[in-house]
Amino acid sequence: MQITLKVKRYNPEATSEDKKSYFQEYKVDAPADSTVLDSLIQIREYQDESLTLRCSCRGAICGSCAMRVNGHAGLMCKTKVEKALGKNNVILVEPMGNQPVVKDLVVDMSLFFDKVRAVEPYLQPVGPEPKEERIASNEDMLHLVGVMSCIMCGACVSDCTVLEMDPNFLGPAALAKAYRFVADPRDGKTKERITEYNKYGGIWDCTRCMECVQVCPKGVDPMGRIMMLRTKADELGTKDYSYGVRHADAFEDSVKKGGKLNEAELVINTFGFFNVPKLLGMLPVAMRAAYKRKMPSLFHKSIPGVQSVRRIMSKAHEVEKVQGKKPMPR
Amino acid sequence: MYQHDVLVIGAGLAGMRAALAAQQAGADTAIITKVTPVRSHSNAAQGGINAALTHLGDDWHEHAYETVKGSDYLGDQDAIEILAQDAGRSIIELEHMGVIFSRGPDGKLGTRHFGGQQRARTFYVADITGAAILHVLFEQILKAKTRVYEEWFVTSLIMEDGECRGVVAMEIKSGKLEVITAKAVILATGGCGRVFEPSTNGLIVTGDGMGLAYNAGAPLMDMEMTQFHPTTLKNNGILMTEAARGEGGYLLNSKGERFMEKYAPTFKELASRDVVSRSEQTEINEGRGIDGCVLLDLRHLGREAIETKLAYINEIAIDYMGFSLADKPIPVRPGYHYIMGGIKTNVDGLTKIPGLYAAGETACVSVHGGNRLGANSLLDTVVFGRRSGEHAAQMVKSKPAPKVSEARVQQDEKHIKALLDRPANGDSVAKIRLDMGNAMTENVQVFRNEQGMKTALADIKKTQERYKKVAVGNKGKVFNTSLIFALELGFMVDLAEVIVAGALARKESRGAHARTDFPDRDDVNWMKHTLAYNTENGPKLDYLPVVFTQWEPKVRSY
Amino acid sequence: MKFAFYPGCVSKGGCPELFASAVAVAEKFGIELDEMKGASCTGAGILQEKNRFLGDCLNARTFAMAENMGLPILTICSTCQGVFSQAHQRLDRDPSYRAQVNEVLKEEGLEYKGTVEVKHMLWVLAEDIGATEVKKRVVRPLTGLRVAPFYGCYLVRPSSALGFDMHPARQTSLESIIEACGAEVVDFPGKTRCCGFPITTINEKNSMGMVAKHTLDAKDRGADAMVTPCPLCHLNLDGYQPKAAAQVNENIDLPILHLPQMLGLALGLDSNILGMGRNIMTTYNVLMKVGVKIH
Repeated sequence: MQITLKVKRYNPEATSEDKKSYFQEYKVDAPADSTVLDSLIQIREYQDESLTLRCSCRGAICGSCAMRVNGHAGLMCKTKVEKALGKNNVILVEPMGNQPVVKDLVVDMSLFFDKVRAVEPYLQPVGPEPKEERIASNEDMLHLVGVMSCIMCGACVSDCTVLEMDPNFLGPAALAKAYRFVADPRDGKTKERITEYNKYGGIWDCTRCMECVQVCPKGVDPMGRIMMLRTKADELGTKDYSYGVRHADAFEDSVKKGGKLNEAELVINTFGFFNVPKLLGMLPVAMRAAYKRKMPSLFHKSIPGVQSVRRIMSKAHEVEKVQGKKPMPR
Repeated sequence: MYQHDVLVIGAGLAGMRAALAAQQAGADTAIITKVTPVRSHSNAAQGGINAALTHLGDDWHEHAYETVKGSDYLGDQDAIEILAQDAGRSIIELEHMGVIFSRGPDGKLGTRHFGGQQRARTFYVADITGAAILHVLFEQILKAKTRVYEEWFVTSLIMEDGECRGVVAMEIKSGKLEVITAKAVILATGGCGRVFEPSTNGLIVTGDGMGLAYNAGAPLMDMEMTQFHPTTLKNNGILMTEAARGEGGYLLNSKGERFMEKYAPTFKELASRDVVSRSEQTEINEGRGIDGCVLLDLRHLGREAIETKLAYINEIAIDYMGFSLADKPIPVRPGYHYIMGGIKTNVDGLTKIPGLYAAGETACVSVHGGNRLGANSLLDTVVFGRRSGEHAAQMVKSKPAPKVSEARVQQDEKHIKALLDRPANGDSVAKIRLDMGNAMTENVQVFRNEQGMKTALADIKKTQERYKKVAVGNKGKVFNTSLIFALELGFMVDLAEVIVAGALARKESRGAHARTDFPDRDDVNWMKHTLAYNTENGPKLDYLPVVFTQWEPKVRSY
Repeated sequence: MKFAFYPGCVSKGGCPELFASAVAVAEKFGIELDEMKGASCTGAGILQEKNRFLGDCLNARTFAMAENMGLPILTICSTCQGVFSQAHQRLDRDPSYRAQVNEVLKEEGLEYKGTVEVKHMLWVLAEDIGATEVKKRVVRPLTGLRVAPFYGCYLVRPSSALGFDMHPARQTSLESIIEACGAEVVDFPGKTRCCGFPITTINEKNSMGMVAKHTLDAKDRGADAMVTPCPLCHLNLDGYQPKAAAQVNENIDLPILHLPQMLGLALGLDSNILGMGRNIMTTYNVLMKVGVKIH
C-alpha cells in the first residue's frame, strides 16, 4: 500500500536554522505486513541516503531502532505499518525524547548509559567465590528473565514523565537494571543498594504514570520494578529522603482504620505531626481548600464492615509470612 | 592520537571477554566498536552455550568428539580439545559474573538438548542466552571501567615492518579520523552475514575484521564453510532457535510427516545443522514443502513451556506472523546464519601477522571445521576471547609502545575523500549489496555445483567493478551512515569472492559444503583447510593439513 | 442501566463537588447508582507499592461484593478505574493467583469468581449511552468554550489492562464527550501525560513543574478550561495550581472541571448542585462564557 512517512529531520551541519530542523515527507510502497523500519530502510537505500537512523537486527533484540512513532517511543522493527497508519495514511516518525539529537533519528544516548552506570550495574556477591556455580532456584532465575529482557533501547527513558522535568531522576531503565540485582539471590548488597536508590532522584521520584510500561517493547515493566524496589525498601525499613515509605505506611494505616483514605490524616502522618515546616508548607493549599469548604475532615467515618477489611489485611500479611514472600501472579 | 597496550575491535561476546581478560592481566586495554556494546549481534544467539561440566556428570571427551564429528572431521582436534576442556570453567565464570542461567530442581545449573549431541549439555537463559550473556559481560565492562570507543569505525590496520601497530578509525559522530596505536590488536568483529541475502544476521554484520585482516595480508581459512540454519522465519529470515527442537519441536513437510526420521533415524530433528538443512531443502526440492518452507510444530509442548522457555521466538511469531507457537506450526526454511571460516589463528588467537589477534566468529581456530554444532559458537567466543586477551596481555609486557606517525591518517582520509568525491552514476551501495547477496543465495546455497558457483563468481566480480565506481549519496561529516555502508561493502565484495573461490576449488562434499556434482566426502584429497591470501588478482588459495589427536575420520551418520 | 457505584475516597473527601455532580448527571441519563458503601479504598497504587498482594485482596473483595449484587461497577475516578483494571487483569490472567486471593477472602464468606465488569463513567457515557445520545440530551450547548482534555494516567495506561483492543474508542472518549457537550476540543501533548499528583508529597518541585507545564500548554493553545475524569489529577491541577504558578512565576488561572461538572453544565444542571464554587481556580469565566447566571 502507498503510505507517507513524515520524518523529523535534523542536520547539525546545515548553514541556516530552517535547514537544520524540519519535517520531510516520503512516499513509500509498503507491503501490508511490513514494519516502519522496513519503510525507513527502503527510504535510506533507494530514496535518500542522507536519512540517518540506527538499526541492525530487525528482530527486536539489539535495541538500536527506538524512535517515536506518532508521538510515542517504540522499536521501529516491531511497529507494523498497518497499526501505525494515521489519517491519510501518514505515519509520523521522530527521534526519541529526553535525549539530544545527533542527526535525524539518531540521539545521543550518554544520559541513558550514565544512569545505568550510576546504579552499580554488576553483581556484587559477598563471601568467598565457590568453585562451582552459586546455588539459586530456577524460579528466581526465571523471574529475572523478565527484567534481563531489557535491551537498553531507550524507549522508556524517551517517554519518562519525570525525566522530562528533572534530568536527575535515575529513570526507568536504570532502576529496572537496579532491580535485576536486588532481586538476584546471589547479590549481597541489597541493603546498600536500596539505601542508595532511596536518595533524591531514586525510586521515590517515579510518578507511577506508566509511560514506561506502555512503551517498553520487551515487557520489562520498568515501573513495576520500581514499585518492587519500593516494596523492598519498605520491607527493609530503610529511611528514605522523601517520606516515600512513610507515605505508603500512613496510607495503609488510614485504610486499615477506616476502610478508606483519610487525606488530611495521610498528610500529617506522612510528614509527622511535629514536622512543622513541612506542614506549614502545605498550609496555603489547605487554607484555599478550607475557604472553598472542601478541606477534608480529620475525623472520617469508617465504612460499614471495616472489620472485614482489617481482617483481610492481616490475613494477607499472614500469607506472606507463611510463604516467606508475597504471592505474585505470572 | 590515542595509545593502548591492547585494543579490541568489536564489543560482542568475544570482544568483551577478550578485553576483560587483557585488562585483568594488567594491560591497558580499550575496546573500539562501531555500535554501542549491547547492540552487537551476539544478542541474537538464542538457544544456549555448550559445556561438559564434570560435577554434573558430563565428560569433555564426549563433547569434543561430537564437535569433531559435527565438523565433519575438518576441525583441528587440538583446538577442539581446548574448547571442550575449557568449557566448564567458562560457564562457571559466566555464572559468577551474574548470568542468570536456568537451574535444575537442586538449584544447580540446568541443561537442554541441542543438535548433534547425545547428551543435554546446553546451558541457557530461556531463549535469550546470547543477549543475557552479552548484557552481563557489558555489566563487567562497566565494572572494570574499560575505555570504550563507542561508535567508532576502524578504516584500516596500521601495518609497519610486517606487524600490526594499531588502527586508523573514524569517530562516527564527528567524522574525524584518528590514529589509535596498540601493541596488540584483537579483532572480534563477528561474521560477514550480510554477504548473503536474506540472512539471520543483523545489518551490522559485515565482516569488517575479516576484511581488515585480509587487506593487511593475513590469510582467511575455510571461508567456503557457511552454515545455513534449518529454522529461519519465512519472510524476513529471522532466526527461530534450535532450542525449539531441543525442547522437543517437530519438523513437518506438506504431508504432515516428521521427515527427519527418514534422514537421521536416531537424532531426528536434532541432527547437526547441515544435515537438517539439507533434509529440509530436499523435501522442498522434491515438492513436499509449503511455499518454499517446511513447518516447525511446537504445539505439543504446551503453552506454558512455550511462554517460559521459548518466549522470545514466541514473541517473534506473534509480532511477525500474527499467531502464537502454541496455536499453529510456523513456516521455516534454511537460511544463511554463520561462517565456520574466518581469519586463521592459532589456539591463542594469534593470526599470521605479529601483533594481530582474532577471536569469535571472525576467527577460524578451527573448532567448527565444516559445520558448527549449535551452542558451540557462544562457547567459542568466551574460550578463545579470553585466551586471546590473556595471550595479548602477556605479549605486550615485553614490547615497547609503537611509534606511529600521526600523518598515517592521511592515507585513509585520502581514500575516504576519493569515495565521497566520486560523481553519482545512478548505481548505489544498496543496489550492489543486494545484487551480491542475491547472487550468493542463488548459487552458493545449501546445495552447490560447479556451474552455479561459476555464475556466482562472475556476478561477484561484476559487483566488485561496480563498487569501484559507486558514489556515496551523503557527503556530510556527522554520523554519515551512507559512508560507513560504502566502506563495509568494500570488505564484503572481497569476502564474497573468497567464499566462492574456496567453494569452487573444494571438489567434495563436507559439512555445510554440499556439492551435487561431488556428493561424497573425499578424505584422500580434501582432508585439509583452505587458506586464502589477498592479491591484486583476487584470492590466492593454499592448503593446510588438519590437526588430528585422537579421533580417526569415520562415516558420519545421525 | 444500573451499576454498583464506587465513588472512591476523594469524591467523598477532598472533592465533594465530584460526587454531587456525578450523581446528578447519572440521574439525568437514567443511570441507576447503587452505592457500594462497604467497599474499601482501591489502594490507589500506593498500597500496591508496599504490598501488591494485599491490594489485590482488597479489590477482589470489592469485585466479589459487586458480583453478589449482580451489577457491573461504575467508577468516577481514573485512578480507581486503573487500579481496578490492573487488579482485574492479574486476577483474570492467572487462576492460581486468584485462588490464593480467594483463600484470604474465604473467612469473609466471599469469593471472586472473575466475572465482574468495571467501567469508568466516561466509558459508560461514550460506549453504553453514546456521544450521539449525550448530544441529544444537551440543553445548554457549551458553544464557544474551548476545553482541553486531561485523562489521567490510569485511564490510558497500560492499554493492555484497559480493554483498548476491544474498545478502541476509549482512547478518544473524552474528546467525544467534550464535542457532544458542544464545546471545542483543544488538543495538546499533555492530555495523556501525568499530572504529578503521586509525587506531590515526595518531590513537590517536579510535581508542580508538571502542573505548570500542562496547564500552560493548554492555555497557550487557547483553552478556556481543562476537563478531567480523575479527581486526583483535579486535586493537583486545580488545588495546587497557585503553587505551581508561583514556582514558574507565571499567571495560569486555568479552571479545571470535573467531567460531570462539564456535562452538568451542558445538561442544564444548576451550578450550585455541580459545586462550581468549590473549585480552587475560579470557574467564573467558564460560567459566563456558557451563559450561566451566577447567584
